Amino acid sequence: MKKTIITFARWGNYTIAFKTIFDQLGLEVIPPEPTNPTTIAEGAKISPEMYCFPLKTTLGNVLPGLRKGANTVFMVQNIGGSCRQRYYGAIQKKVLEENGHQVNFLDFRATPRDIYRTIKKISGASSWQIIRAARFFFKKLRLIEKIEKKAQFYRPREIKKGTTDQVLTESLTELEKLNKEKDFPRLRKEILKSFSEIETEKDKKIPRVALVGEIYTVCDPTINFDLESKLGKEGIEVHREMDITYHLKKLVFPWKDWTIQRKINPYLRSTVGGHGRDAIYEMLHYVKEDFDGIIHLLPFGCMPEVTVRPILEKIHLESGIPFLSLSLDEQVAEAGINTRLEAFIDVVRNHYNSKQ
Amino acid sequence: MTIGIPRALIYWKRPQFWESFFEDLGFRVLLSPETNKELVEAGVRVSDPENCFSTKVFFGHLLWLDGKVDWVFVPRLKTNAEKLEYCPKFFALPDLSKILVRTPILTETFNEKKEPLEGTLAKLGRKIGREKREVKRAREKAFLKEKDEEREKRENFFRKIEEKTTKITLVSHPYNFYDDYVNLRVKEKLEKLGAQTIFIEETPVNETINQRSKVQDKDYPKFHWEFGKEWMEKIDAILDYNITGAIEISSFQCGCDAVLKEFVEKKFKQNSIPFLYLLIDEQTGEAGLQTRLEAFIDTLR
Repeated sequence: MKKTIITFARWGNYTIAFKTIFDQLGLEVIPPEPTNPTTIAEGAKISPEMYCFPLKTTLGNVLPGLRKGANTVFMVQNIGGSCRQRYYGAIQKKVLEENGHQVNFLDFRATPRDIYRTIKKISGASSWQIIRAARFFFKKLRLIEKIEKKAQFYRPREIKKGTTDQVLTESLTELEKLNKEKDFPRLRKEILKSFSEIETEKDKKIPRVALVGEIYTVCDPTINFDLESKLGKEGIEVHREMDITYHLKKLVFPWKDWTIQRKINPYLRSTVGGHGRDAIYEMLHYVKEDFDGIIHLLPFGCMPEVTVRPILEKIHLESGIPFLSLSLDEQVAEAGINTRLEAFIDVVRNHYNSKQ
Repeated sequence: MTIGIPRALIYWKRPQFWESFFEDLGFRVLLSPETNKELVEAGVRVSDPENCFSTKVFFGHLLWLDGKVDWVFVPRLKTNAEKLEYCPKFFALPDLSKILVRTPILTETFNEKKEPLEGTLAKLGRKIGREKREVKRAREKAFLKEKDEEREKRENFFRKIEEKTTKITLVSHPYNFYDDYVNLRVKEKLEKLGAQTIFIEETPVNETINQRSKVQDKDYPKFHWEFGKEWMEKIDAILDYNITGAIEISSFQCGCDAVLKEFVEKKFKQNSIPFLYLLIDEQTGEAGLQTRLEAFIDTLR
């Protein structure tokens, strides 16, 4: 039998954490190519035209790995509800086979039991090893999410522009290199220390903008043209609630959904699949917190987000909060996004100043 | 009291049922007119630009009814009797309609995973002030009418299949197939070119074949959409009847069709049946469609 070499779909900075699981279990893994115009073009070329954007990008990330010799692809199924993400595995498998890649496609559901079984089958590791790998994965994941949040806070306040981004990149590189769980506490301390050493203007009052929308586009800086960093450099504090921990918490504890439904009842009385409800809930939350702007991110034609967009626009009209909706696909150019963002930043500043 | 029903999207899922049901309960039913240019333009103007074409048409119908009736009936269809889901865009239709029109929306959640259809209809009856007994009678009458229609469809199907002409299967959603403005009179055009059209929904599914395919067939995933499962089963069934070609019509930005098209196309190609994929939206020109259809018919001969 041929040796199993794994590759998987990329998802922003969290890719580092996913890679750890396979490394810890002694599996050979080729990390997915960071998203860039070439991978997007490659993925879009072979995937179905009408399908949503994340399918095309994840396919593009996987392709270079397959050419380097990977023969197993991991794809999680069902991000939630009636979303097309459920069929990513089936479609990508079909597309890859049509294009002459013989791959073993591991398409599993996002339940702890299913994930455990798939990993056990592919690695043959003992339960103890898997639990340890999972623990390390969560440790890394929590740290990545924590430093992302820290970066969102420090970016608009830093005195020397670009320091935060530099520290963030360095920390992520260090974290990617880390292979022993033993060394983790030391590295964590170092990373947090380097963040606290960034010189900032304290007590600076600045406008706040929130990112809502589809989880993949919101979380991945390579997909959304580094929106967080761009806003941060313009002196705007960015907030977002969407991350993997949020999503996993919702999978494990269903009552989060009930709270959300109760809060959004005046606007929408049903689920629409994906994170449609969450977008409304978050927007209402941020309006209540007196934010200065909302950016709604979605892949072009995303079914849940397109369905809820009229409702978000209604909330925007009712509350007067600045609102920008950006749909991303393989044809969107960075220059177009920059122009719209600049105009939006002006609106946000005006809104902020008029409040003073 | 008048209840308005938009003649789009949800209406075509059960064309006879709702009309008959409300009329039997003693309401006047006002259907919006058949789709025309003004309706589509009105719908496109108000709806989200990235929404699918069928939803835009629906909003056009909804706006036409605004102010003309006491209630507009927009049900929230979630799951059907087989516990399979409808399109996720149906889930939010009543809420989106509320934003667009001032007329009160009459709605009820049809979730047969949790509650059988009878219970939901009784609830709906209570909302409009009708008793359980009356609702039951109206429901049974409406079901009978639906059954008659189905029998007629079946007879029609066997009549069509026995004719010795070019037979073309149209794979599409009922709201694209029955709405002649939306599909640019594709049926008429095909008939003029000398081909017989068979709508995929008319195909009777043979239960024994169905059960067998459950075990061995694995070239498509288990769909959680009702139309996904229905289409695949019916395509399996119609392949036994010796058809000449297949056309899939889907509306622009239909997310579900993007998934299904891959598997529908694969099925027909495996059986070496010519397959044509047509996308329709508010800008599709009739001339372009005519040319493509003519070319397709030529390849069949």
